[in-house]
Amino acid sequence: MKRVLYLIFILMVVSACKEVFEAPPQSLLQASFYHSETKKPVSPVITVLGVGIDSLWVDETAMTEVLLPMTIKDTTRFIIWLDSKSDSITFVHETTRKYDSMETGFYYEYKLQSVRFTQNRIDSVEIIDSLVTTKWNENIKLYIHPLPAVGN
Amino acid sequence: MKILSFTFILFLLSAISYGQAEQEKKLKPKRTDNYIHMRGIRVGFDVTRPFMDLWTKGNRYGTEFSADMELMPNWFGVFETGYDAMKIKTSYVDYKSNGNYSRIGFDYNFLQAENKDEKDIFYVGMRYSFALSRQQVDQYMIDSYWGTETGSFGNQNYFAHWAEFLIGIKGEIFNNFYMGWSIRGKVKLNVKDLGLPPVYFIPGFGKADKGFNLDFTYSVYYNIPWDFRKRNGPKAKIKK
Repeated sequence: MKRVLYLIFILMVVSACKEVFEAPPQSLLQASFYHSETKKPVSPVITVLGVGIDSLWVDETAMTEVLLPMTIKDTTRFIIWLDSKSDSITFVHETTRKYDSMETGFYYEYKLQSVRFTQNRIDSVEIIDSLVTTKWNENIKLYIHPLPAVGN
Repeated sequence: MKILSFTFILFLLSAISYGQAEQEKKLKPKRTDNYIHMRGIRVGFDVTRPFMDLWTKGNRYGTEFSADMELMPNWFGVFETGYDAMKIKTSYVDYKSNGNYSRIGFDYNFLQAENKDEKDIFYVGMRYSFALSRQQVDQYMIDSYWGTETGSFGNQNYFAHWAEFLIGIKGEIFNNFYMGWSIRGKVKLNVKDLGLPPVYFIPGFGKADKGFNLDFTYSVYYNIPWDFRKRNGPKAKIKK
């Protein structure tokens, strides 16, 4: 009888544990910030807003790199504030639907084709790795102008 | 005195081992005269299949029947067939798959009979297995900063086949009724490439992305005691 109860207990534990499903992975573009003259990493205070979206992706956070989500269309556009100076940046990409598993579902991967941007704070953009996958790595380098010195 | 006691112990040990050897001889008579025989066909039902939901991810259930018969002493031809269905419903995927599968192969019995009424077998077996199945993603959802995207994939039909290696027992619990378990290693041979989404589930095999699956079955059997080979079959050659 003890063995039967033990078996029932094990089966209950197994059945209780089994319905845990994770969310599908997400492919994010990693952009890193560098000084346009020294080419050294910098960490500006950034705010990121997706064009057409009401909520901010990043809200006034100092960081040396930012992970950006892409749309399922062939272009993704952000307004990005770098130490309160705004620029617009547009990524043109191919979008491919991928399968992770039936437990987690589907996701998208991207192949970056070009980057367009305004040059208020951004000096230039260099594509390091055009494949935007779930294994996040540096995809682009954003070279930004230094802030003008503030006089007393 | 020591030598005497050692000699006594040695004598005692040899006497015991001689006695055991004699006993073993009596227990294991010559095999040729002691095959375990089964009359007619044994049909079975796997009682674990309707409860697979308890130990698999998602919602899986099935039904499986089997039939086996003695082809020659210790060799049993086996046919198994069943229906298997799998459903997964999460926040991100609503998936379903179902289909039929069959296995054909043999079991080889290792046990010897001490008398003609002994029917229990301990066996190893091999199967060639195949499934005809279909799958469908009724809805999937991809959630991101840009919004939620939903979609679906229509019905996909596919064929898969695999080999099974098993070990198990079948024991007679009372007249012509048997119970038995088997542990099976399943090696995938091939499955149709569907593109997106790929085959997730193979009825009778399990998750399709794995090359090897382990399974356990527990069945009840009834031996239909109609010996249709009375005159010409293997039974005719049996010495009693």
